[in-house]
Amino acid sequence: MQWTGLPIETVGWMAAGAALIITLLYLLKFRKRSVEIPFSPLWGRVIATRRKQSDWWRRLKRLLSWLLHLLIAGLLLFAMLGPRSTDEVLDGRHLLILIDNSASMGATDVTGGVNRLDVAQRQAREILQTVGGDDRVMVALFNNRVQPLGPFVDDATLLESALRNVEVTANPTDLAQALSFAAHSLQDRPDAELIILSDGSGFDPEMPLPFDPDLGISLRHIMIGEASENLAITAFNARRYPSNRLDHELYVEVTSHFDREVSTRLDISADGRLVDSRTIDLGPREVHRQFYPGQAVAGERLEARIRLTTADARDVFPLDDRAYATVPPPRRLSVQLVSPGNLFIEGPLLLNSHIDFDRVHPDAFDSTASRDVFVFDRFAPESLPDGDLLFFDPPAEGSPFEISGRDDDPILTDVRQSHPLMRWISLSDLNIGSTSTFRRGSDDVDVASTFGRTVILARDDGTRRMVALGFDVRNSDFPLRVAFPVFMLNVLDYFAQDDVDLMYSFATGETWSIPIDRSVTGAEMVRPDGTRAPVALHAGEALFYGEQPGFYELHTTHADGTDRTLLAANLTNPDESEITPRLIEWEEIPTAEDTSGLLFDRREIWISLLLAAMALLFLEWTTYQRRWTE
Amino acid sequence: MISFGKASRAPQATGDAFDEEFLKKLEYLYIVSQKIAAGQRRAKRRTRLVGSGIDFADHRHYTHGDDVRNLDWRVYSRTEKLFLKLYEEEEDLFIYFLLDNSRSMHLGTPNKWSMVRKVAAALAYIGLSNMDRVSLVPFSSTVDNRLPPSRGKAQIFKIFDFLDRCEPGEQTTLQSAFKTFVGQNKRPGLVVVLSDFYDPSGFEEGINVLRYHRFEPLIIHLFDERELDFSLQGELELVDCETGEVRQLTVTPAMVRAYEKEFRAFCDELETFCTQRQLLYFRAALQESFEELVLRIFRAGGFLS
Repeated sequence: MQWTGLPIETVGWMAAGAALIITLLYLLKFRKRSVEIPFSPLWGRVIATRRKQSDWWRRLKRLLSWLLHLLIAGLLLFAMLGPRSTDEVLDGRHLLILIDNSASMGATDVTGGVNRLDVAQRQAREILQTVGGDDRVMVALFNNRVQPLGPFVDDATLLESALRNVEVTANPTDLAQALSFAAHSLQDRPDAELIILSDGSGFDPEMPLPFDPDLGISLRHIMIGEASENLAITAFNARRYPSNRLDHELYVEVTSHFDREVSTRLDISADGRLVDSRTIDLGPREVHRQFYPGQAVAGERLEARIRLTTADARDVFPLDDRAYATVPPPRRLSVQLVSPGNLFIEGPLLLNSHIDFDRVHPDAFDSTASRDVFVFDRFAPESLPDGDLLFFDPPAEGSPFEISGRDDDPILTDVRQSHPLMRWISLSDLNIGSTSTFRRGSDDVDVASTFGRTVILARDDGTRRMVALGFDVRNSDFPLRVAFPVFMLNVLDYFAQDDVDLMYSFATGETWSIPIDRSVTGAEMVRPDGTRAPVALHAGEALFYGEQPGFYELHTTHADGTDRTLLAANLTNPDESEITPRLIEWEEIPTAEDTSGLLFDRREIWISLLLAAMALLFLEWTTYQRRWTE
Repeated sequence: MISFGKASRAPQATGDAFDEEFLKKLEYLYIVSQKIAAGQRRAKRRTRLVGSGIDFADHRHYTHGDDVRNLDWRVYSRTEKLFLKLYEEEEDLFIYFLLDNSRSMHLGTPNKWSMVRKVAAALAYIGLSNMDRVSLVPFSSTVDNRLPPSRGKAQIFKIFDFLDRCEPGEQTTLQSAFKTFVGQNKRPGLVVVLSDFYDPSGFEEGINVLRYHRFEPLIIHLFDERELDFSLQGELELVDCETGEVRQLTVTPAMVRAYEKEFRAFCDELETFCTQRQLLYFRAALQESFEELVLRIFRAGGFLS
């Protein structure tokens, strides 16, 4: 027996005092209340009858109350000594509890809890409630980053309260980072033990042991999870057609983690309205890819959802059953062609139904007119209007581009295919009769050149964009090529900064970089659950760490007002959707798989003693009130 | 529960005054008593003595010394034997009220003495109204004082005054007190005993003293219901208010039940004793109204007949 409470000498003195007080009170109890009665012989008869009881029994009954009081005091004092079993371990340890709260911990394939994280929390609480008085404990959460709930503390109740607010994130798992953190935290600490409460997601058997096995750090992985049956949307994307910016196509990838055939219903909805629903039969561990070409969906919020229809199958991981994508409404540009007459240029612009187009003669051009894009054909105004500008064969006089010379029958030797203007087009073998060549400035990009002399130039000075072609299209076969209307679309997209690939879709658990205008002065993100958070701005980008799947709204503020950008965030992580529990183990050190030897069997004897004292007190009170004891 | 409180030798005042309201009640009770008596005998009370009255009562054999004027010559002519005619002799009925004035009668508030006063006053008023001679005799261990026999309604105020002046006596000793009473009162009559009969030496000898001296005892046994509802429990020191005897004991619910049983046995003993000796016995709780008790006595007929 060990004593962890008050010193024995103190308790001894207290025992003596208590015994003295109880005895005095016991004696005082026998001071009788005086009551006047009319006729005592009647009581005499009663007493005579009662005296039939044996004297020793009556004496015992009198003593019983005193003995009970002594016993109660004895129990209380014994409890103060803090008795503990001899086999209880009381030496201090350093315990680091790593709790996985990545997406896969949201799987519901557990008993005794709502999901895997719930079970992990219970296990953690159980460990915290049974740690010894000299133990130091730290709890840290990990997904694709590590979040300690506090330093090493000896008061586990602080950690218990922090544990209550832990929730499953939609983040992937970075186990290596978590183990590295654990190794640094437990380094040079005596009796160190690492306890991982995880389903083992993210563990790679090839992963090296993150700490030196000679450090004496014990490893314990309490594996959470029981099943692997999951059906997941592992990809969901939307893309606009370059030729029709109002239309787009969808791509959905559904992965089955069942070892048998299952059926599922795949629903596609736009802005909350169901637009497509189909049943998909999936083989064991099959990855099904589904395209939705020409999906003319009115709406910008697209959602894919799968529902398992096989009766006896259960999808235990609901977090990856939904995916989100956005199709921002295209920006409608106003375009003015300033030309004495050029059907080659005018044709693609007239056919583009997504712009507001008009044409003026150079003599009627008003530089104060307001348009998004001005297209100058063989003309350069004296003062440049506001807006993005496209020049075809600009004259040297008045042109914002410095013309370095003129080439006849040039051959385009260098074309920057990676430039947005050159997307999906080829300028090889382009025949040009004559072209001006430009001298490049600091903001200029050489898109196409002939032997180092720039023929097609793009300029972005931070306030506007300009593109110049040094030749008259009528003096080339460019308008006769399929590439020309595509080039015109690319130019307009370049001006509108409305890239057909720019459909914002992000993965949860990452810091998103969203390109924004440099004039933006402030930004705020509205999360899927409606909460708002400020967004950091840096070098023309908005930086935000998103953890929830769903639709986000980025509200940016600039001098002219506010803009709103819709974003979609998805888990869509095949590794997280693979929820099969895996044991984290290395050959170098043994891995304990349960809590045996970890949990103290903390037999709080003092609680039992206190309860026994209370029970005896109640017994004494009852028996005395009923006069069973005297 | 009876609020005995701490033992005290000082009797408590009753606080019940013999006022005009009380007098009205007595008059009402008298009227009621007359109605109850109607159909029985309207005459005043008569003794069983046979003497020189007007109404014929009986015959007996002639003996020397008898008045020859009372010989029944008609009977002699038929039987040739001398019989003497006897007549009922009218005389006043003596009603004695033996009132227990011991300390036990003055215990608690209200106490049994207040009941005794009212019942005695009521019965005395009816007796006076019937032209009987009424005497009040308070007693405890002996006869403390006495109101000599008096007759006529007007004497009721003297009775009120006497009752008001009564001081509590000592302990109850029926035999001693009643011996003193019979020694002082040679004229037999009705003896109404109002008491709780808490005599450590027993009640039998006392009542027998009255009987043996040709008095007609009418027993009114008073008790307090609070004595039965004894809710005080625990370590108690019970002090007898009359003898001062102290009994220390731990009162338990079982003991309270045993006490109740003993008390009822005591009451039954007294009632059985009276019944076997053809004595009228009335048991009344202090909590009962005195009018009810008086009417109960009238209905039983022992007082009026």
